[in-house]
Amino acid sequence: MIRRYHVVAIPIRIVVNNFGDHNPDGRMYVLKEKEAKVKELVRKNPFTPVELVQPLTIRANEGDVVEILFENQLPFAAGMHFQEADYNVLTSDGANVGLNPSSLAECGEQILYEINATREGIYFFTDLGNVSSTEDGSSIQGLFGTLLVEKRGSWWTDPETGDPLNSGVFADVHNPFLPSFREYAWFFNDEMEVDDLTGNRPINPQTNQDAESFHGVNYRYEPLHNRDRLLEEGVVCPDCDGEEVHHDSWVFGDPATPILRGYRGDPTMIRLIHAGVKETHVFHYHVHQWLRDPSNAGSEIIDSQAISPQSHYNVQPLYGLGSLSGAIGDVIVHCHLYPHFEAGMWGINRIFDTLQDGSQCYPNGVPIAALQPLPDRPCLPRPTKEKPGFPNFIPGKVGCKAPRPPLGIVGGREMTELEKNAAVPNARPGAVFTDSCLGNPVVVEFDVSMIELPIVYNKQGWNDPKGRIYVLDKDLDDVLSGKKEPEPLVLHIPAGSCIRLNFTNRLPHILDGDAFQLVTRTYEVGFHIHFVKFDVLVTDGANVGWNYDSSVLPGETIRYEWFADTELKAFFFHDHLFPISHQQHGVFGAGVIQPRFSQFFDSTTGEETERGTQVTVTHPIIPDYRDFALFVQDFALLFDKNGCPLAPPEFPGSQDDPGVFGVNYKNEPLQFRLGKDCDPAYSFSSFVNGDPVTPILMAYEGDPIRIRLLQGAHEESHSFNVHGLRWKSERPDNDSILLSQQHIGISESFTMEMDIPRAGDYLWAFEDEEDVWNGTWGLIRAFDQEVEDLIPLPDRPLPPPRTKPLPEVTGKPPALANPQSTLPPEASPNAPIRRYDVVAFQTPIVYNSYGDHDPFGIIFALEEDVDDILCGKKNPEPLVLRGNTGDIVEVTLTSRLKFELFPFQDGIHPYPPVKEQAFYPPSLRISLHVSLLDYDVTTSSGDTVGFNPDQTVGPGEKITYRWHVHDAVGTCAMWDVADLRNHRSFGAFGAFIAEPRFTTYLDPLTLEPVKTGTNIVLNNPLLGGNSREFVIIMHDGVRLVDKQGQLIVDPIDGILGVQDDLEDLVDTYDNGSRGFNYRTERLINRFREHPVLSDLFSSKVFGDPATPVFEAYAGEAVTIRLTMPSERRRAHTFHLHGHVWKFDPRDIDSRMDSYVGHMVPGAAEDLLLIGGAGGIFNFPGDYMYRSGNIRWDIEQGMWGIMRVHDKDQPHLPRL
Amino acid sequence: MTHDNSNNIDVNAIHDMALLDHFIDGIGQKVIILSPSFPFLFIGTIVDVVEDLIELDVETTHFSQLEDRTWFIHIHNIEVFYIERPGEPQIPELKDMT
Repeated sequence: MIRRYHVVAIPIRIVVNNFGDHNPDGRMYVLKEKEAKVKELVRKNPFTPVELVQPLTIRANEGDVVEILFENQLPFAAGMHFQEADYNVLTSDGANVGLNPSSLAECGEQILYEINATREGIYFFTDLGNVSSTEDGSSIQGLFGTLLVEKRGSWWTDPETGDPLNSGVFADVHNPFLPSFREYAWFFNDEMEVDDLTGNRPINPQTNQDAESFHGVNYRYEPLHNRDRLLEEGVVCPDCDGEEVHHDSWVFGDPATPILRGYRGDPTMIRLIHAGVKETHVFHYHVHQWLRDPSNAGSEIIDSQAISPQSHYNVQPLYGLGSLSGAIGDVIVHCHLYPHFEAGMWGINRIFDTLQDGSQCYPNGVPIAALQPLPDRPCLPRPTKEKPGFPNFIPGKVGCKAPRPPLGIVGGREMTELEKNAAVPNARPGAVFTDSCLGNPVVVEFDVSMIELPIVYNKQGWNDPKGRIYVLDKDLDDVLSGKKEPEPLVLHIPAGSCIRLNFTNRLPHILDGDAFQLVTRTYEVGFHIHFVKFDVLVTDGANVGWNYDSSVLPGETIRYEWFADTELKAFFFHDHLFPISHQQHGVFGAGVIQPRFSQFFDSTTGEETERGTQVTVTHPIIPDYRDFALFVQDFALLFDKNGCPLAPPEFPGSQDDPGVFGVNYKNEPLQFRLGKDCDPAYSFSSFVNGDPVTPILMAYEGDPIRIRLLQGAHEESHSFNVHGLRWKSERPDNDSILLSQQHIGISESFTMEMDIPRAGDYLWAFEDEEDVWNGTWGLIRAFDQEVEDLIPLPDRPLPPPRTKPLPEVTGKPPALANPQSTLPPEASPNAPIRRYDVVAFQTPIVYNSYGDHDPFGIIFALEEDVDDILCGKKNPEPLVLRGNTGDIVEVTLTSRLKFELFPFQDGIHPYPPVKEQAFYPPSLRISLHVSLLDYDVTTSSGDTVGFNPDQTVGPGEKITYRWHVHDAVGTCAMWDVADLRNHRSFGAFGAFIAEPRFTTYLDPLTLEPVKTGTNIVLNNPLLGGNSREFVIIMHDGVRLVDKQGQLIVDPIDGILGVQDDLEDLVDTYDNGSRGFNYRTERLINRFREHPVLSDLFSSKVFGDPATPVFEAYAGEAVTIRLTMPSERRRAHTFHLHGHVWKFDPRDIDSRMDSYVGHMVPGAAEDLLLIGGAGGIFNFPGDYMYRSGNIRWDIEQGMWGIMRVHDKDQPHLPRL
Repeated sequence: MTHDNSNNIDVNAIHDMALLDHFIDGIGQKVIILSPSFPFLFIGTIVDVVEDLIELDVETTHFSQLEDRTWFIHIHNIEVFYIERPGEPQIPELKDMT
């Protein structure tokens, strides 16, 4: 059917909370029929949020054609670009790209878009008429919305009235064949302009400095600094400090941010959308879990999900609201990045247990709006005086902090009569209103305390004098006396257990002040847990909404109960009362829900244990394994040995990226590992520098291992890479793709399960430049002979007795590796060999026609192309090598690096900057590391790590790596590891593509065989003949100069328009230019030539961009190989207009996406375009591929074109 | 070319019958069964074989809530099994941590 909407883009004042904070320059999409009403309400309520001012959410059904009449009332050309949709790119792209006619509407004009809603899902829409990242832009000021496509035959009603609904972020969705469900659209938006009631920038009353920028949900935010002011003035709760009551409705009433209301057990769908411009957030939803890929039952179960700008996910909580145990109460939903949480990026999912018909009130007298029950759910009891239902049985006092839970505190209170009426029959400490443990399972019990103690992070004395950690009570003496090294607490628990925790607060009342932080009265602490089931009212370890405050005061003990219903990953735990103040000091840990019937042993002594970051797990049925836990940290507030703060903020209390980094309370900065020869190539070598203090994960050759990857603190994205190993992306799914890199944000948890095929040292690293520079790396060490401090796995053959001495530190570089001496572990002896001769050398790289260039480029190229590149006949592109399944690929690498061609010969690399700058001279050695392939890590990993031989080459040297293509894993990232500071961002990277067996590679113009190239034709007789392969290498952190030789300081130099407060906005890892395949089409260059924002992507005005223009004919099979080998921590989104692909290309059940989030160093993706070029309908035209980050990628040149022809082109043969 | 089906033997029927006979022969014995559907694992004693269903007194599954009760498992839903017989390797004893 055809469904029609008339949408208007309007300027609007957006009031973002009840404190009168507002955006005077907001912009939004609204339905025409609501336009007048919205404008009138806003005019009458200049300082109060208006319900109708919300991101436009409209709906359609699968199979519908949606006609959108778009009317533009903004003072610039604007449009609506729909992700996921199928549409004619010439008429309905909502953009002005390449040679297409513009599908933007000028100010005052209208345009008709026709959108095919082919599949159920989130069709997020934004404007591409004005991509400025400043407050003059559109997205940043609120111009976004979504079309939600429901299952065929659905209809939707207002949750309050039950009436039909035309638009709205909340709806009840019904279908004749499917359960009705609650649908909540949840738009993260960030960096929007906000003024306070007085029209000035909001001030943080604690620091008296500018408050953090806007981080909110659905145009609302509820920052701590506003609520703090009410405490300071003594209006409410004068004995409170601030952070511990930030989310407390007893003190402040409900927040202005979304409250997702439902009844216990209601089926639910949160449409999670990142409509913001810059940060990769982590969406966390207490109590509930969901499948990462809802269409794939073999997908991972998660309860935190990182989300990059212009990405979106369906969050469908398993078991409905309240999860398996049927919890009731207020469940906080928030961005887990703590500075964002503090800035107001949170809301509540309120789960009622009694019918709300509009006659009831909250404890503060505010009426509870009616909530229609879902028609196919059981009837709910009505509230009575004896059983008033949540929240009215809780004995709190309005204006005061929430009460403590009954039964939980040792020596605390019993239940009131109303609480008894609301309690489950067998109410007990930690499980009063929900029976969290089903039936009568086995019980495991832990006694844990929180303590403060100094923690030393490395041999150079970097230290946190106020470390705060969880520790088992039985370990208290050993940890406090220094006998036991502090490490994050990791508890090991078999699935099916009922877990009881007795948690004692042994912290001092005060977190002292210093260069990083102001004095804070952190007088209570909790133990908040992820994944497991629990009674959220009393065991959340938090203080949320109308719930109890389930934390504990100093010297007291609280009892919690959780249920591990099935084998899970590592479940994260941390404090939820003062996490912004002290989690970065170490307040985090994990429990690992191991397979039922497991036993756990100390890997060194063989004694049975229940805790440890490295343990050995045995099981009667499944193979035994090593279990390792790694917690990455940022905002580590460390001092050097002389007491000087490391990377302090501008003022104490600032959240502007203070401190450095760590893993498990340790770091091993590269600046201390130059060795006597001052050569970065041996920074990871244990021969030269000894082993790092960071974790060395120990195993024997052949052992199965599981790495539990977590992030303990505090705000930033990190990119975990393991060199030489790989694991399944979706562990329960046999069809899963393989990975050797994983993006992580705080509170996410990943389990990487694999075997170690061969003895050697494997590098693990959070491998963006700044992280690894500051020491976030370590080793996986696999022994081939017995060692004293590692028990063998009982079900594996005993390791042979030691005959060779263990290697020792020599202070000298190791001997050169001999890759010809071994075969890759999985290779067959008669495998075909494919050979490449690769040279690493320096050459200027011209990035665009405006003369932006890198005069100090370092590239890899095939030997036969070197002369053409050096004489300027060929402008280089990143090296792309290929091999077929079964091949052994021998890559002979030669270094022609010259010291005089490095820009920073004094050893100080000033731009793009990193924290803790130090002397680190450029290495003349270079290497080539590849991810995902099969090779002997001691010879062919392209890095000199631990006690492995040297795998780098100096000038005049050669090494021939042996890589085995064990499977058609597609895109693999390639980069140099010899000098991650001075080489990689200058171009020392590329890609390897692992193709199916029998594939040949052809030039797209001549169809003659080729050896390399980013744009080729693949021929495979078994896979349908020919297809096109486009390799897109996304990279950032580039140091460019303009044609006058002036340094380009991106992102600042590329911003379109005027931007205030630049110093606060740009983090170290935002610095540097960026683009695709050594090219960037910075919009500022175009804007200077022709200052019309809506024309900036137009080839009719500017010609084609410098970034690759990939060409195909409509309907031709196309695979995009996307990777990001280099180099910064800021995560990017990749989006291709008008096309979709499988999230997991190997899995037919996998969801379809038109974007890839979380692009950070090491990422490698394969996008098999469904329907081929032009999408499912094969529409010809120019399709933009681009970053989803308005701030700061698109302006800075991260975009290009895929051109889909319908007519024959003389230069391009059809497939 | 035509094919005469009149003398065909139903291989699937033979396969199923052999499987059923094997389980009938194992009545009273301990068995471990892996199945592709929830709850994936059963350990218990074979009580009876009813048509093509195995009646099992289940002492262990993946989930303790589903134990100590009788389960009927269709033979087509058995992916892997082992019947413990005297003198043969024993099915591991699975114990919750205590």
